[in-house]
Amino acid sequence: MLNVLVSGLAMGMLFAAVALVYNVMYSTSKVLSVTTGHIAMLGGVFGAYIITVLKLHWLLGLLGAVTVGAAFGLLTEMLAIRRVLARSDEHLWLLSTLAVATMVQHAVGLWWGTEPKPFPRLIPQDFGAGVLDQKFWLPVACAALMALGLELFYRRTMYGKVFIAMSEDAFAARARGVSTDRIRLVSYVLSGALGGLAGFAAGQLTFAFFALGLTLTLNGFIALAVGGLGSNVGALLGGAALGLLNAFASYLFGGEYQQTIAVGLLMLVLLIKPEGLLGAKNARPV
Amino acid sequence: MTGQTLSSRTIGAAIGLLLIATLPFWAGDQYQLHLAALIAVYWILIVGLNLVVGFTGQLSIGHVGLLSIGAYAFAILAGKAGVNPYLAVLAAGAVGGLCGLLLGLPSLRLPGFYFAMATMAFALIVNEIVMANPALTGGGVGLPGPLFPPPFDTPTGFYYLVAALALLASWLTWNIARRMWGRGLISIRDNPVAAQAVGVPVLRAKLAAFVFSGVLAGVAGAVFASLQSYITPDTFVFELSLFFFVCIIIGGRGSLIGPFIGTVVLTALPEFVAPLARLGNLFYGMLLLAVVLIVPEGIGRVVEIIGERIRPRTVHREPVTPDLARLAHALRKPA
Repeated sequence: MLNVLVSGLAMGMLFAAVALVYNVMYSTSKVLSVTTGHIAMLGGVFGAYIITVLKLHWLLGLLGAVTVGAAFGLLTEMLAIRRVLARSDEHLWLLSTLAVATMVQHAVGLWWGTEPKPFPRLIPQDFGAGVLDQKFWLPVACAALMALGLELFYRRTMYGKVFIAMSEDAFAARARGVSTDRIRLVSYVLSGALGGLAGFAAGQLTFAFFALGLTLTLNGFIALAVGGLGSNVGALLGGAALGLLNAFASYLFGGEYQQTIAVGLLMLVLLIKPEGLLGAKNARPV
Repeated sequence: MTGQTLSSRTIGAAIGLLLIATLPFWAGDQYQLHLAALIAVYWILIVGLNLVVGFTGQLSIGHVGLLSIGAYAFAILAGKAGVNPYLAVLAAGAVGGLCGLLLGLPSLRLPGFYFAMATMAFALIVNEIVMANPALTGGGVGLPGPLFPPPFDTPTGFYYLVAALALLASWLTWNIARRMWGRGLISIRDNPVAAQAVGVPVLRAKLAAFVFSGVLAGVAGAVFASLQSYITPDTFVFELSLFFFVCIIIGGRGSLIGPFIGTVVLTALPEFVAPLARLGNLFYGMLLLAVVLIVPEGIGRVVEIIGERIRPRTVHREPVTPDLARLAHALRKPA
């Protein structure tokens, strides 16, 4: 029972980390990128590649995963976001990020192989550690650190305050002399680095698997929508709720209906409280 | 399309029909005929999806779920239960429409990205349910897709059957698209608030388009199962959904001929250019990105622009020459 609780919490915290990455991108661009889960996938795959194939120290693996994630974030912004936002068309960014996500997933599939490959142990630990195993607490610690770091970043640093200003009103921020294009680029690089970190930390839980991206995109989004778009605490709560629900449902009824249950949770929350648990209320256009 | 007269359009349609009708006689081999039938099957789904994606602007990326439902409904009814295949096709369409209604009723109220995610989740859920009920669906092992009775049991006969279905589907869709309904759907895509203000029943129109596309997806699934002759959950991967979606976006939203060209080219191209088949989704992704960045209106728009270059539209200019003397006089007066 404790095992179910801990594994559900670990999975939920991975979803929460992905939801946090969504939030960072959303704050400056109002874009929910389909590539969000794929960033974490890249972190896991490149971490495993650097440690097991190149046989380097795991700190270098961490550095590599974060760098690849940041580079991918940069690439996403330059390829799929910048020109589309300049057009100010409806949901074109959904198409462009979907295109980038598809390309990167397939490219990784061709290069890395389509089988899930094991992620190496980071810290020497006995495999019989049970609920104290690092594969459970690493994602939890990572998500907690990310949320804490983001909170400090938003409150204590100039860039963080500019992020908040842009999320409130990008036009007003621009009028006050904020280089909104550059801040958006920075936010995508930051979200890429965070996503790479999350994927790396959860690597032992998810394995280095090329098709992980789409699942994470979906589940991270559900965590985000349940918790409330734009709220970091909500993302943690939503992720925990989703992970625990999934774990207990598959413990009690078997693992066949995981996705159905996750979407059921999403629909339920959207019906009762459309803005999510802690989200800001959306003003309707009419 | 503005410069065309009615007669040239009729001639074009007649040539197209003739090509479709005579295809089994000039197609090189059985495989090309199979490919043509596959294009027709995809087109049955895409023409319906086009109403949702291209006209109404609802980015449904989970239509493969509806295709899967139609295919399984047909395989179970016609294969296991021994129902008449034609009735089974109708039933598959009905089941597809019902599932479209069930999916659309909550999810069409959601804004863009939420809707896309809901439909994507739907595709995953369908596969999950198929895997979880092996007694009904064969689980991971799959089900055989039964053949149609003669004269439609040969490749040629089957081709004519699906071509006829595809033509029927296009005709139905064309009737919706060019009349008041189509205009209403386009207005929802371009500005839902303005559409509501002029009296378009937004949710009802969206739902009607979605259910219609569900019916067509169910029918497409039924003939798809028969064409593939064996279906497993692996047949209905999410990538297939993406393929349908890309066909429409590349062809151009809000037109019928654009997505048709997109379907034909994207289905046939990887079969004839071997390296593209290996790249698969990478190729589709690149195409999608290129189209979104360069011509968001789709390839159809490029053709129009080139057409205007070749045969420029005559613009009536009525230059107004100012009467300078009078103007000067009028300006001087108040002073």
